[in-house]
Amino acid sequence: VNGNQERGWNDPPQFSYGLQTAAQGAPKRTPLNKRVPPPQLTGSPCPVPGDFPSLTAPMTPPTNPLAPPCSMNTPPRPCPVAAPPLAGVMMMATPPPPFPVVEHTDSASSQSENEPDVDDVVTLLNWALTACRHTVKKQVCNDVAKRLKLFEDMWKSGKLSLPVRRRMNGLVQELKSCNWDAADEIHRALIVDHVNEVGQWMVGVKRLIAETRNLNPDLLHTQEVDQSLDTSSTGNSD
Amino acid sequence: MATYQEFIQQNEDRDGVRFSWNLWPSSRLEATRLVVPVSCLFTPLKERPDLPPVQYEPVLCSRANCKAVLNPLCQVDYRAKIWACNFCFQRNPVSTPQWTILSCMTKHYSTIEYRGRGPPNPLIFLYVVDTCLEEEDLQALKESLQMSLSLLPPNALVGLITFGRMVQVHELSCEGIAKSYVFRGTKELSSKQIQEMLGLTNPAASGPQSRPAAPQDPAVTCRFLQPVHKVDMNLTDLLGELQRDPWPVPQGKRPLRSTGIALSIAVGLLEGTFPNTGARVMMFMGGPPTQGPGMVVGDELKTPIRSWHDITKDNARHLKKATKYYDALANRAAVNGHSIDIYACALDQTGLLEMKCLSNLTGGHIAMGDSFNTSLFKQTFQRVFSKDHNGEFRMAFGGTLEVKASRELKVSGAIGPCVSLNAKGPCISENEVGVGGTTQWKICSLSPSTTLALYFEVVNQHNAPIPQGGRGAVQFVTQYQHSNTQRRIRVTTVARNWADAQSQIQHIESSFDQEASAVIMARLGVFRAESEEGPDVLRWLDRQLIRLCQKFGQFNKDDPTSFKLSESLSLYPQFMFHLRRSPFLQVFNNSPDECSYYRHHFVRQDLTQSLIMIQPILYSYSFHGPPEPVLLDSGSILPDRILLMDTFFQLVIYHGETIAQWRKAGYQEQPEYENFKHLLVAPVDDAQEILQTRFPMPRYIDTEHGGSQARFLLSKVNPSQTHNNLYSWGQETGAPILTDDVSLQVFMDHLKKLAVSSAT
Repeated sequence: VNGNQERGWNDPPQFSYGLQTAAQGAPKRTPLNKRVPPPQLTGSPCPVPGDFPSLTAPMTPPTNPLAPPCSMNTPPRPCPVAAPPLAGVMMMATPPPPFPVVEHTDSASSQSENEPDVDDVVTLLNWALTACRHTVKKQVCNDVAKRLKLFEDMWKSGKLSLPVRRRMNGLVQELKSCNWDAADEIHRALIVDHVNEVGQWMVGVKRLIAETRNLNPDLLHTQEVDQSLDTSSTGNSD
Repeated sequence: MATYQEFIQQNEDRDGVRFSWNLWPSSRLEATRLVVPVSCLFTPLKERPDLPPVQYEPVLCSRANCKAVLNPLCQVDYRAKIWACNFCFQRNPVSTPQWTILSCMTKHYSTIEYRGRGPPNPLIFLYVVDTCLEEEDLQALKESLQMSLSLLPPNALVGLITFGRMVQVHELSCEGIAKSYVFRGTKELSSKQIQEMLGLTNPAASGPQSRPAAPQDPAVTCRFLQPVHKVDMNLTDLLGELQRDPWPVPQGKRPLRSTGIALSIAVGLLEGTFPNTGARVMMFMGGPPTQGPGMVVGDELKTPIRSWHDITKDNARHLKKATKYYDALANRAAVNGHSIDIYACALDQTGLLEMKCLSNLTGGHIAMGDSFNTSLFKQTFQRVFSKDHNGEFRMAFGGTLEVKASRELKVSGAIGPCVSLNAKGPCISENEVGVGGTTQWKICSLSPSTTLALYFEVVNQHNAPIPQGGRGAVQFVTQYQHSNTQRRIRVTTVARNWADAQSQIQHIESSFDQEASAVIMARLGVFRAESEEGPDVLRWLDRQLIRLCQKFGQFNKDDPTSFKLSESLSLYPQFMFHLRRSPFLQVFNNSPDECSYYRHHFVRQDLTQSLIMIQPILYSYSFHGPPEPVLLDSGSILPDRILLMDTFFQLVIYHGETIAQWRKAGYQEQPEYENFKHLLVAPVDDAQEILQTRFPMPRYIDTEHGGSQARFLLSKVNPSQTHNNLYSWGQETGAPILTDDVSLQVFMDHLKKLAVSSAT
């Protein structure tokens, strides 16, 4: 995503939380840290660029001087595109797509092509909240409930983008499986990447994860997911 | 047998140390003749994934004025269970049950991390937020702050102060109505008064003297600094409801910003509640302080904020007073181990020149952007909370560094984001360099790249014999608070051989680390530039370079064409050439704030990044072969090439004239010219890695021949082709630069003339 050129002079592009986190630990692919030694201190002029040995065959000049070298004339480069299978091997009527399917590795939910169901997501969140109500202070639970309601309303009125909906689905799946760290990481990625959409209510989800992970595990297991009470913000449960 | 290059690299990788000389001259006189002092760059918390912390405290020498840590250079007698300190030669008996394990470890590890003393203390983050922002900016800033609550360490304490014309300290209670304490933005208060007004002193004390309440007393501290996991929801709401400063700003005026008082309250609040605990004041401002102590400019827009011209003409009314004010605040914060970050986003200057000491003395960050609604600010801010491969925060707090050296060496001082702890001792040199007169410094906030330059003096008399053992040693002991709140002690002990400069000058020469020396001398230059006139610093730098060339150059007297430098020095003159032209020493092209910003980052980065700042990296992409580094020279700018330049603060992708024409014609869209598309993408891909990790985030410039932004590239390259010499060169290659700057060639010619002259 490009930076904000209206407000910022030469604003750099915006990267997702996932990309930045991954980049922190990864070794550099092409470390750009070499310098060229200066010309010999003998008064000769600077070396003409191109003195360095070329590892590929010399290029033939383009026939059209106004155009860049044509791909056919240039030395072969590793092709990023998977070659299509040989004719006769596959029995399909239509040839397979020439490019490999690009996979998003951000969250499990993006694997599914289906639109996540808001009610499923809300039910799971409420399941966790109900379990919390046994031990967590009433005010806190009500505050969480208020934000979950806001989240639900925003979803139902179409104010949440598809990536946010998908990733929230992924988050509640992790919650259901008691993968607290994974759920937490998804909440962090969401608030970094989509703060304007989620900023008002995500802290409720954050708190929910934090409180739920501290619960006695028995409390969670006694709550059957599809029997969770409807804990709306009117909060009459106490 | 390893070359010096390999030796230098291995040492940096293992210990985070790079010395200017890796063979030390054995007398003071010879050391001064080497021009570049015996000195090093030291990165105390260099990332070492292979170094698990030892769960014991370090074993210390028992001599009272030594207390060096047991290290690989010590002689150990396992049977008699005695070890001899290599610094003071004291024989120490076994003192701990963990002796065997520890002594084996220290035999193999020149750098080792131990458990530190003291209870784990919570980390504290105090937000100080300017509300005199435009609506769009304020909204973006609020969102970033809300987001940051999810990035903070979960058990951290968090607080909020907002300011505009007045200053508000917000109570962060878990329930009920949100309260805040309001202070006038013009009245300076003492630390005690602030604490009293915030109710942080013991109300039951009799008489006019009120005792501050015990620091860890939760009843007193809970109101303003609360655990983030308890107040995150309330604070999110509170932040969401923040409004622009309500005081109307008349036409032709600036908003009244009481930054000085806001900071003084922040520092006073932390002083009274959590002295000597790791804490970060994070100040966000959208313009200069215009009211109260520390004001940098008045509220009349027709009076511009001071420029270099104003400063040289002694026409900057508020400069001295404001600098003194913030300096005092910075020192108070540093004494308590608290660091101050400044996030300044505005199109005009905001007063970084006056306020820079707040971050420079405490190790806090300075981020400078155009608006809070930019990815430069947002991502730079996010990266404050970046984590390492173990999922732990990179930031560390409350650091102290102590340096011990063999008796032949004394410590002259340090240059970097630190303050002196005024620790007296036998190791201190009378010749102060940087922050001197001490062997201990405080670095309130540290990251894995924080690097200090340390300067030493050889004190052996001329013609005295080489010291027994033939080696000198230096030990660095860094105590700090890890982001997981535990205290740790990292100890690095290094040694280098002594050499007689009269008989072994060639060996000493080949042990020269020109990269480290360039950065070390550059830091000295920048330090001087803060207090001396610019031209004086350049003259001093030139003088040192000429002396170095006279000492080590191979030449016939008065014959410049015979001059040669060996490989270990061949890059050094070029570094000095670029340093002279850099924004660190040339203020002409940059505002006082920009200069302060660049210098702030320069005197704390590790060697690789510092070198990039001195002499930017330039890579060339073309159809002629794989990407290659090229000379930072106008001759490298060619029509059929794309150049990627990294100055640390900017990443510039420059398309040569022909490339630009092809791109404009859209050849990259056509399948037969797919290779051209790849060529266009290659530098962009290489830039991504840097963009995704560097702190602070650099600006990103995509430009081409004739583009206005091309000036970023043109101003950095050596102008070997200028409008003055274009036709005298006789070459057709390279793009001419319109400048009167001297080229590297001319610079080298002058240098050689002066070096070989018998008159100099």
